[in-house]
Amino acid sequence: MQFLPVAKQKLNLAKNTMNGRRTQDRIVIALFLLPALILFLLFVIYPIFRSVYFSTFDWKGFGPAVDYIGLDNYKKILTDEVFLKAIKNVLIIITLSLGLQLPLALILAVLVGRDLPGRSLFRTIFFLPYVLSEVNTGIMWMLLYNADPTRGFINSIMVQLGFEPIAWLADMNVVIFAIFITLTWKYFGFHMLLYLTGLQNIPKEIEEAARIDGANSIQNFFYITLPLLGSTIKTSVYMSVLGSIQQFVLVWVMTRGGPVNASETMATYMYRFGFVRYQLGYGSAVAIIMFILCMIFSLLYQALTRKPDYITGL
Amino acid sequence: MNRKIFVLLSVLLAATFMLTACGTAAATEAAAEEPAMDDTAMEEAPAEAAAEPVTITWWHISTKDPALSDWQKMADDYMADHPNVNIEITVLENESFKTKLTTVMQSGEVPDIFQSWGGGTLKEQIDAGLLKDITADLDADGGAWRDTFAPGALAVFSSDGENYGVPWDMGMVGWWYNKDLFTQAGITDTPKTWAEFLTDVQLLKDAGITPIALGEGDSWTGMHIWSYLATRIGGEAAFTAAADRSGAFTDPAFVQAGVELQNLIDMEPFQDGYLGATHDEMQATFGNGKAAMELSGQWAPSVEAANSADGVGVANLGMFNFPTVEGGAGAITDVIGGGNGFAIGKDAEPEAIDFVKYLTNVQNQTIIGASGTGIPVVKGAEVGLTDPNLLLVQQSFAAAKYFQLYYDQVLPSAMGGIINDAVQKLYAGTATADDVAAEIEAGAQEQIK
Amino acid sequence: MGKYLTTPRWIQKVIPRIIIYVFLISATIMIFIPIVILLFGSVKTTGQMYSHPYSIPNPPNWENILLILSTPSFWNMLKNSLIVMVATTGGTVSICALAAFVFARMQFRGKNFLFNLFTIGLMFPINVAILPVYFVLRQLELMGIPMIDQLWGVILVQIAFQLSGNIMILRGFFTAVPTDLQDVAYMDGCTNFDFFWRIMLPLVKPSLSAVGALVMIASWNDLLVPLIVLNSNQLWTLPLGTMQFQGQYGQDLALVSAFVALSAIPTIIFYFFAERQIVSGLTAGAVKG
Repeated sequence: MQFLPVAKQKLNLAKNTMNGRRTQDRIVIALFLLPALILFLLFVIYPIFRSVYFSTFDWKGFGPAVDYIGLDNYKKILTDEVFLKAIKNVLIIITLSLGLQLPLALILAVLVGRDLPGRSLFRTIFFLPYVLSEVNTGIMWMLLYNADPTRGFINSIMVQLGFEPIAWLADMNVVIFAIFITLTWKYFGFHMLLYLTGLQNIPKEIEEAARIDGANSIQNFFYITLPLLGSTIKTSVYMSVLGSIQQFVLVWVMTRGGPVNASETMATYMYRFGFVRYQLGYGSAVAIIMFILCMIFSLLYQALTRKPDYITGL
Repeated sequence: MNRKIFVLLSVLLAATFMLTACGTAAATEAAAEEPAMDDTAMEEAPAEAAAEPVTITWWHISTKDPALSDWQKMADDYMADHPNVNIEITVLENESFKTKLTTVMQSGEVPDIFQSWGGGTLKEQIDAGLLKDITADLDADGGAWRDTFAPGALAVFSSDGENYGVPWDMGMVGWWYNKDLFTQAGITDTPKTWAEFLTDVQLLKDAGITPIALGEGDSWTGMHIWSYLATRIGGEAAFTAAADRSGAFTDPAFVQAGVELQNLIDMEPFQDGYLGATHDEMQATFGNGKAAMELSGQWAPSVEAANSADGVGVANLGMFNFPTVEGGAGAITDVIGGGNGFAIGKDAEPEAIDFVKYLTNVQNQTIIGASGTGIPVVKGAEVGLTDPNLLLVQQSFAAAKYFQLYYDQVLPSAMGGIINDAVQKLYAGTATADDVAAEIEAGAQEQIK
Repeated sequence: MGKYLTTPRWIQKVIPRIIIYVFLISATIMIFIPIVILLFGSVKTTGQMYSHPYSIPNPPNWENILLILSTPSFWNMLKNSLIVMVATTGGTVSICALAAFVFARMQFRGKNFLFNLFTIGLMFPINVAILPVYFVLRQLELMGIPMIDQLWGVILVQIAFQLSGNIMILRGFFTAVPTDLQDVAYMDGCTNFDFFWRIMLPLVKPSLSAVGALVMIASWNDLLVPLIVLNSNQLWTLPLGTMQFQGQYGQDLALVSAFVALSAIPTIIFYFFAERQIVSGLTAGAVKG
């Protein structure tokens, strides 16, 4: 169960041998943890168990669940082509995010992280999309992606540059990439922020020393900055993967997972089959599968990368 | 830097308190007005003041005026006449409404009065014991309330002869067309048969006009073309058989519908990017004269106008019934449609039913018709209907011998999504007519019991 | 460009700078395009919005904005949003700080287990948990604790789903404060609570504000929890307000844009103030990995 090693704790409170101290410690521990524990058990942990329970029923949500079907929902989901398609789409999004979005965020963080005039302005601007809500982002991008060049801004630019217009959200081969572009627009700022905080922790002296030794900025980046950013990158990758698995609002607003499941993610799949079709038992099973996949990823990731990061303690 | 954030936080806090204060003040003012009204009402009717206070919860989805204000006013008037009744209205947008209703119902809770489209979903709610049987209320006084409704519309909200809700408007889907574009393409008369229809589509294409606007991103828009074809080919018998499981959705009528739809799709009659377009974009395309036709409901005239660049929409708008298919069992007068109604929750007090009775009386139904919100379902209220386009729909509707409730509403709740998703594959070119029929049938075998 | 090149130094410096600026400015443009279209849309009619979404509104149609600003419900929603945001942020930061302190600074049996339990929240986001969460709220309601149609119902659920990530982040900051401080403090007779309140909190204050800023953004934009929990329009928050312009058969895109633009203004203003704070706060006290 332990997938998050606790940071090394040098101080041993047992040193304080006085009994009063220990009782007092216990009280503090209990009081400090209590509010978080109550809320967490009530609204997060208990719902997980309840979802597990519902996932074993053929349940439409009209009244109590009575139609017990064991693991049938799980069998059906894992053999459903649409769900497999959703997993594939999530993998595409993860790959693109790790291959393009995070490097872009890192480059921008490096560019605006150091002594560049106007850097704080750029920093502010780049984080702006993260401040806007996902629903609004989806609506704005739908307008941009309109297939008609007289109505869709992106296509109007493409036509002016001499390209054929693309039906971004209507073309089953293109739509997932269109979604990815929007996701990048929305989230790169968040990752840039993580990298910025990481960069601030790299002492300037190290880079300056390297520069004096004749390293140029590119060498500097690859041999000094990148290795020292290791733990931050780890956090950013972790957040990005979990976010991709759970991605819902943007996709639902823009395409509803369509056309014909071409942009289905696991979360839109859950909503389509759980809510739209009133199969809440089935939807609960999808939620649990997503939960398990996140868990497996966390454990594997934890095992594969050993260095703990200060931000998450991962 | 630290200070900045605390300054900001305190500003925010201050703003919150100020707004809270304003809000409370405003609320107090409003409250001050209302009791005043209540007081007079109580003085006038001391007998009723003794009645126990009742709270009615009402969820509806008429987010826009005039319906929004009309409903509010009706509720206010009712509360003024019945001081013991407090009506709590929750107005939700369509999709949010469904999400919220599903979430609330799974926990066993249900509003007293809520928006419903009747049909299969209503039946499931009835079977789960979430709704209240109001048959006796309709039949009271020799069926006084029941007789006010158009029987077909009322039947949508019943199951096995028991009523659990009442309609408040009815409508149907038909082909709306741009008369100027038809003339431009040299089409003199509206098509009566599917072959004529396809010829006209070709004529429009030849004239450089996009024949049909479609918003298949909202997959129900394209499903209607398929379901109409099935209705024209198989008639009432084919659908009834498939729905009661004596037949199947793989029967020839449904496969044939897919084949005919495929023929249409092969002509590429839709605007670019229709596969990802929303229903709103479809209305905008049609409203801007960028396409000659759209298959849409009684709401089409108002929405295409609102979504068009000039806000006026198609200048010469017409509507024709879905053409017959040669050799098909269905008549041109048969219509597919549906409407809105109120379902009554299981815990509804008698006052809630009385309030619904009030909402659907002739006066209030006339208001609904007159404001163009919908086509009234109560006899005598059609006098309020003045909008020529709504009249067009109402006439088609009245002439129908067979009324088919929308496929995605008449069948059990899950079937709507299954049919919409399956038919979408035809438009995307990822399935054949046979595949689509088979997929729907597979869903039906599981869902229709 | 090594040091052996004979190019003048200022050119060495200027050319990469220009390239960097070109890159940054193009990124800026790409960020602004959707936002500008939204702003244009807020002063158009819905028809113009669907028909020519990216043309410059000429003449601008200020009616949308005036209409929204003149409705009392907008100000009411703004108030509710502020209440929820301030309470959720305050609640999350204090509850997470308490728990993170314990996880970073105290020893007890079952600590690892409990900490790992909290990380589970990251894997079960609110949009997959909403059905059972509503069930819990309703059970509480039946037990006589009003939750449904109450702002604090929204606030508590929002806090609960913010716990996992923020406890993890704050624990990192608390761990980073040198342990010698704690030793000294205890030797001086400081209680745990004193140590937390007088020494730890001031030290990690920038980090608390950074965490708070991120929570604020999430709370402000949250649509699902208020939708499910709140019934009466009096209690609605801003994200629910866009529903007013979405009819059963069509949405009024221009009014939606105007509403969205107006409701985003507070967060954007706030963000301009807080941006530096977030970066420096997340950095402060960090240990090298």
